[in-house]
Amino acid sequence: MLVVVLLKGVPARTTQAVTVGGVLNREAMDLVLNPHDAKAVEAADYLKRRVGGKAVALSMGPDMKLVPLMKPLFDAEVLGIDEEYVLSDRKMAGSDTLATSYAVALGVKKLVERHMAPIEEVAKAIRTTGYSDSVRAKAAELYSANLLPNRVYTELPSIRDSIVHRFLDGRITTETALAELAAEKERVSKFVVVAGIKTTDGETGSVGPQVAEGVSELLGRVLPHATYVEDFEVDPEASTMVSERKIGYLSQKLEMQLPALLTISTEYRPRSAPAATQDQVRANSYRGKVFQAFKWTADDLGADSKRLGLVGSPTIVGAGVDVGKPPVQKAVGSTLVFLKATDPFDFEGKKFGPFAQGDLTTGLPEGAVSTLKSGGAVGAFGYEMLAEELLA
Amino acid sequence: MSEEPTGVWVYLQHTRSKLTGDSLELLAAGRAVAEKLGQEVTGVLLGSGLSDLANTAVLHGADLVLLVDSPALEPYFNLAYVDAIYGLVRERRPYVFLFAANEVGKDIAARVAFKVPTGLATDNVQLAVEDYNNPALGQFKNLLIQVRPDFGTRLARIYTPRHRPQMATVRPGSFSPLPEDTTRMGKIEKVGFQPPAYPARVTEVVELPPPVPDLAGADVVISLGLGVLKDGSGKPRDPREAYQYAMELKGVLEQKHKLKTEIGASRALIYAEVKALEGVIGRSNQVGQTGTTVKPKVYIAVGISGALQHRVGMQNSSKIVAINLDPEAPILKFAHYPIVGDLYEELPKLTKALGGGGVA
Repeated sequence: MLVVVLLKGVPARTTQAVTVGGVLNREAMDLVLNPHDAKAVEAADYLKRRVGGKAVALSMGPDMKLVPLMKPLFDAEVLGIDEEYVLSDRKMAGSDTLATSYAVALGVKKLVERHMAPIEEVAKAIRTTGYSDSVRAKAAELYSANLLPNRVYTELPSIRDSIVHRFLDGRITTETALAELAAEKERVSKFVVVAGIKTTDGETGSVGPQVAEGVSELLGRVLPHATYVEDFEVDPEASTMVSERKIGYLSQKLEMQLPALLTISTEYRPRSAPAATQDQVRANSYRGKVFQAFKWTADDLGADSKRLGLVGSPTIVGAGVDVGKPPVQKAVGSTLVFLKATDPFDFEGKKFGPFAQGDLTTGLPEGAVSTLKSGGAVGAFGYEMLAEELLA
Repeated sequence: MSEEPTGVWVYLQHTRSKLTGDSLELLAAGRAVAEKLGQEVTGVLLGSGLSDLANTAVLHGADLVLLVDSPALEPYFNLAYVDAIYGLVRERRPYVFLFAANEVGKDIAARVAFKVPTGLATDNVQLAVEDYNNPALGQFKNLLIQVRPDFGTRLARIYTPRHRPQMATVRPGSFSPLPEDTTRMGKIEKVGFQPPAYPARVTEVVELPPPVPDLAGADVVISLGLGVLKDGSGKPRDPREAYQYAMELKGVLEQKHKLKTEIGASRALIYAEVKALEGVIGRSNQVGQTGTTVKPKVYIAVGISGALQHRVGMQNSSKIVAINLDPEAPILKFAHYPIVGDLYEELPKLTKALGGGGVA
C-alpha cells in the first residue's frame, strides 16, 4: 500500500513568526514539524504493519528547511517514513489553503503515477522481450530505486516467488504475469493519504478535505475523506477502510473504498497489527528507505501557475485588528473605589458625585481622594466587593 | 450568469431534532452581515423531515430557508452534503456563505470552497463589512471582512476580494443567537437532491452524551493554567492543590449561589501533560482556539498568561477575573478584575469572600 503522509514545517515559536504582508516567511524562521502530524505518522506506521507498503512524506515549503526536519522520521529501522518529497518552488510561496491543496493534490497524483509507472515498465519489458535477462535487469534497476514491491520483484533471499522470478523460471505464462502486474497496479491505485487534523500555524484544518477534493478533480474520481479520525481499520484486501470519528454529539463510522484521505485526531491510538498477515506485509513492502529527499517544482508537477502561490490564493491577509479596548478594570487590593454610596460633595469649589458603592475614583482630584480615603468612603477594591459584583 | 452574486447564506446544523446552538449563532452572524449589505439571510438546511426546524430558523433570523429534503441526507454523510450544497451554490450564487467552525462545518466548507473555487477563512471571531482597497487588485465595495486569530499572536483581517461566495467558518461562541421572534416571516423552499453513487457510506452512528464538562453551557468557568505548577515564592507546588481550591470554589458557587460551574484549562497546561493532573484535567477541559469557546457570566483565569490563543476562546465572558503572579501577564490587561499575586493564596480568599468555608 502506498501511504502518503502530509507533513508541514511550522514556526517553532508562533509569537516570533516572521510575516511579510501577512504571509509567513518560512525561510527566515526556525521551523519544527507540525505537532499534529505525529499522529499521521503513527497512522502510516500502523498501515505499514497491517498491510505493508511504503510510507512517503509529502510536504511543501523551502526544501532547505524542511529536509532536516524530516530526518528523525527516517531513523526508525522499520517505522517512520521511507521516502520524502518536498514541493518547493517560489511560485508556491504565499499559497493559502486552496492553492496549497491544489499543489499537494498534484504531488499526490504524481506519487501515485511514480509508483504505477515502474510496474508498467516491467510489464512492457515482458511484453516486448519475453523470457529474457532484460526483464530481470529492468526489474532489478527499479527495485533498487525502491519503486517495486517485493511481490513484483525482490532480492530478499526469503522471497523466491515474486512475479518476475516465477515468470523467468517459466512457472507462469506471460498472460498470468501481465495479469498479476495489472493487479499490482490496481493495488497502488488504492492509496491512502494521512494528515494531521490541522497545523499549529494556520489552524484551519481545511487542507485535508481540500486535498481530497483536489485529488478527486485530478484523478476524475471521488476520493472520500474522514476528518478527526480516532480509529480505523482496513480490510484484508486493503481495498476498503472503516474510520471512526466524533462529529459534534455523534460518533460515526464511515466505510470508504480506497483511495481515501484521513486526518488523524490527537485521540488516535494505533491498534496492534495481526501477526498472521506478515507474509502479505512483506510482499507488499519495498526494498527499504531512500534517504535522499526528492524535490519537485511547479513544472515537475505540471501545475497551472495561475492556481499557485499568491496568484492562486483567493484569500488575502490584511492588517491586524485591534483586539479590543481594555475594559474598566478593578484590581483587587489596589484600585481605589467607593466603599459605600456617597452623597454629592463640594471640593475646592467643584461639585462631585453622587457615587455608588464600587464606583471608581477616576477623575477626582487627588486631594478629594485622600480626604475620602481618610474618612473611610474610599479604599482599595477588595474581595468582598469582588464577590458582590461577580454575583450581581 | 449576468446577475451579481447576492445573499448571505448560513449552513444550519441540527441534532436530536433541534437546530444546534452554533446554527442559531450563525443566523445572528448572518443577520448582522446581511443588514450591512442590504441583503437577505438564507438558511441552508439538509436532512430528512425538517420542516419544523426550517420554521425555527425563520424565527431566529432567516428570510429564506433552502430545505434540501432527501433520505440520502440522513444520517450526516460528508460527500452527499458537499454535493448538495455545491449544487445550490453553483445554481444560486450567494455573496457570502457562513459555516460553524466545528467538525461538520469545516468538513463541508473546505470541499465546497475547493469546488467553487473560492477562499475559506476559518475560525473567525468577528465579521464586518467594509470597503477594501488593494493597490494591485483594485477597489472593492462592501467586502466581508473575516477576522481570525493569526499565527497565535494577533487577529488578522482576511479578505476574499475576487471570488464569490466569500466563505467563512465562524467560531462557536462568537455571536449570540437572536431571541425567537414569533412574528418574523420568511419563506421555506424545498429542494430535491439525487445523490450519485459514492465510494463511501456511513455504517454506524452513535449518539454521544453531552460533553463533560459542559464548558459552553456553564455560568462560571474556573480555568487553570501552567501557573499552578509553582507558588508565589517560585517553589514547585502539587497542582492537585490548585485543582482542589478550584473545586472548593466550584462547590461554593454551585451550592450557595446555584451557578453551574465547570473547570477549564489552558492549552499550555493540557499540552504539558502534567502527571499529577492525569484523569482530572484533560483535553475536554481546554478553553481557547483549539478547545472550547466559552462566554460564561464569570470567567476565572487562574495562573493563565492569556495568549491570544486563549483569549479568543473566552474574551466574550461577561466578567473576567484573572489571578497571576506576573504583573506583565497579558490576561491582567484585559481582565475586568485583575489580581496580581500567588494563586495559592488569592484563590482561597476569593472562595471565602463568596461564602466558602475559608480554607486560607
